[in-house]
Amino acid sequence: MAKAQKIIGVAPLRSYQENACIILPQRLEEVYTWEPFIRDETKREELHNMRISIKRLRYTMELFRVVYQKGCRSSVVSRPLKESSVKSGTSLTENYSADSQYAEFLAVVVDLQEILGDIHDADVVLEVLADWTSQSGNSGRRIEVPAGIATLIARTQETRKADYETFLEKWDQLSAAGFKQKVLSFLLS
Amino acid sequence: MAEDFHSEIYRNGTMATESKIKDIAPDERLDVCARQIITRYFHEMMSYKEGAKEGTDIGFVHDMRVTSRRLRAAMDNFADCFPKRSPFKKHYKKIKTITRTLGAVRDLDVLIVRFQNELVNLTEMERADLQRLIEHLQQKRKDAREPMLTLFEELEETGFETEFLEFFRSQPHRTARYH
Repeated sequence: MAKAQKIIGVAPLRSYQENACIILPQRLEEVYTWEPFIRDETKREELHNMRISIKRLRYTMELFRVVYQKGCRSSVVSRPLKESSVKSGTSLTENYSADSQYAEFLAVVVDLQEILGDIHDADVVLEVLADWTSQSGNSGRRIEVPAGIATLIARTQETRKADYETFLEKWDQLSAAGFKQKVLSFLLS
Repeated sequence: MAEDFHSEIYRNGTMATESKIKDIAPDERLDVCARQIITRYFHEMMSYKEGAKEGTDIGFVHDMRVTSRRLRAAMDNFADCFPKRSPFKKHYKKIKTITRTLGAVRDLDVLIVRFQNELVNLTEMERADLQRLIEHLQQKRKDAREPMLTLFEELEETGFETEFLEFFRSQPHRTARYH
């Protein structure tokens, strides 16, 4: 598993709020260092590392959520990330509280973590089933996969494939919506 | 086995949350907030220890591990708030060991539950195949609990909790010089 990247420029004597703007963008960038690997579904380790980086980003966002809650920071943003998240009848240019916007970003991060988690779980299950099969086979003879295990392997492979496709779709949608830039602009505004 | 199973099987449908840090003052100095956050997560993590030790409710191991991860995330982010020559690194390593040791048990808990849930979707013959694997994993879980229990004993015998809290509760110097 990849180690957490060292955060540069933390200022212990400055406020919690000021440090949010230093730490959060670096945790976000850390996630994107794994982006070049996501188109190859066999890059399990890299997908796993991306999930861990996303989890780290999530926990860091939760740590700094207090900074963006009502009354703590006066900034408002002009439009939310997704049109679908706007209640019907409200305008896209209506001011949107920093807290709501932050919560929406955080929800996206949690969603990505979940789907990558499902992919990783499938990989672990497949590994365990393969180990079990080879372990229970007789040496020197062709290994016969027990029927129950074969059924599970087939089902898990299908689920893994579907989850991976869902992940790529989500990632592409976020890229098209400029997710990373929106989060960075928000954090640095 | 690959580490760090993700599956969300929780104790009574709950999980460790971010709730412990809601009253942090955003305009307070980071080095002060860092100490508050780290000690709160530490308390939360240790509050699950007895349940994890007991072992009948798998949610305790899960909650303890999740909180240890949150604690580590905080320690990663706030490492520069502590002098280089301090017990920070030693405590960080111990938390990492806690996460890893709990992970070995948790991964097996999740696999066992997952495979048990699959049983209903299989034929009788297929069920027998999977049941053998479940029994094998249950034995492995028993084995994986041993290092966890040994670690808990070691934490108690060495006074780790007191030492950790003494360090992180100490006030930063007003004109502290960090890295």
